[in-house]
Amino acid sequence: MIKTDVKIVNKAGMHTRPASSIVKIAARYKADFFVEKDGMKVNGKSIIGVMTLAAEQGSTLELIFDGPDEKELCEEMKSFFERGFDEM
Amino acid sequence: MPDSLKDIKEIKKEFITVDFFYNECRDRFKLTKITSKKIKPGLNLTEKNLHRPGLALAGFVDLFAFNRIQIFGNTENNYLKKLSAKEKTNTLTRYFSFAVPLVIFTDNNKPTSEVLKLADEKDVPVFTTPVHTTRLVSLLSDFLDDQFSVQAAIHSSFVDVYGVGLLFCGKSGIGKSEITLDLIERGHRLVADDVVIVSKKAENVLMGSGTSLVKHFMEIRGLGIIDIGRIFGIRAIRYQKRVEVIVELETWDSSKSYERTGLDTHLINILGVEIEKINLPISPGKNITVIAEVIALNYLCKHYGYNAAKVFEKKLTNRIRQNKNGSPNAVESKFKRNTEYFEHDFE
Repeated sequence: MIKTDVKIVNKAGMHTRPASSIVKIAARYKADFFVEKDGMKVNGKSIIGVMTLAAEQGSTLELIFDGPDEKELCEEMKSFFERGFDEM
Repeated sequence: MPDSLKDIKEIKKEFITVDFFYNECRDRFKLTKITSKKIKPGLNLTEKNLHRPGLALAGFVDLFAFNRIQIFGNTENNYLKKLSAKEKTNTLTRYFSFAVPLVIFTDNNKPTSEVLKLADEKDVPVFTTPVHTTRLVSLLSDFLDDQFSVQAAIHSSFVDVYGVGLLFCGKSGIGKSEITLDLIERGHRLVADDVVIVSKKAENVLMGSGTSLVKHFMEIRGLGIIDIGRIFGIRAIRYQKRVEVIVELETWDSSKSYERTGLDTHLINILGVEIEKINLPISPGKNITVIAEVIALNYLCKHYGYNAAKVFEKKLTNRIRQNKNGSPNAVESKFKRNTEYFEHDFE
């Protein structure tokens, strides 16, 4: 299991389109993927789940990966967050 | 333990702000704030219990639960009225030297000017309500119990099927949302899809609801986001429901043994509440929606005292006993067909 913290850097926050990209990336991997914000932990493969967090710019999320390809998923996901969901 | 229930994270509020309390309860309990100062930002309520400060006013402050909501009923108010001016000042000064979060005067009682002056000095908001003390205590306890209850977000779909709360769990993509949609189409009611917030109510009750953001929206793969309330109307949705049966959907695993008789009820512990759980293997051609309806109806049967598995077991045991005793018609009755012909009825 890998746990890592990421920050939301883009202005619009984790809105519908990035949420959709996040679940699409996660769906390509076998590993389980969870996102946690302010004590609320949701399944990162569910778009409704990811959107429930309503993560705003500047907020910190914990990403949790668990499964055979967790390392690869973690790298791709972390990079996607760091790039500001390609909205920067 | 199913994956979606294995590592649920409990959320528990450490406090609610007094400001939040007032906003939520103003209309609910007919509260009016009568202190002139604004509620201090950062003034928190950390206790879900209430306190009637009779003894503290009388001078016994050893175990004074000052950090709870303070309820002044007729007793407290009349006691204060009875005191001489000097006694009253002493009593109230001592009382307000504790960090009281808020005070409520019930039954239309009005606090005296001394109370209001001291409360304002110490930044303690004082409220009045026409509600009777015992009634208010019971209503407030309910509200605070709910606010401070243990909660958790579960990745699942939650539907009211014939009045029974069925919570569908299972891996991403197994078809929880599709079954939910099918059930809604057949006239059942959606509570929440994908993210269900469960909270413990009373000792043995688990309540489930959606989040205020997502309520009654759901995602269908290949289609996107849809609004169930809009499409199917008011009859298709509800806000909250008691969780009664957990249905765990999984792909058929031939190495696993599934319940065949229904004699054993499997229980699972969620937030300290035991809930019945059914493992439902999915394979092509299986109508999970109908099975879900039958799960709900069978649950109701059991609730009303009829357990099909037990009734059948009893019949079987009787027949075995008959066969063993070699009763006269044992051979004939052994494989007796269930036929009952009416006269000339050969249909």
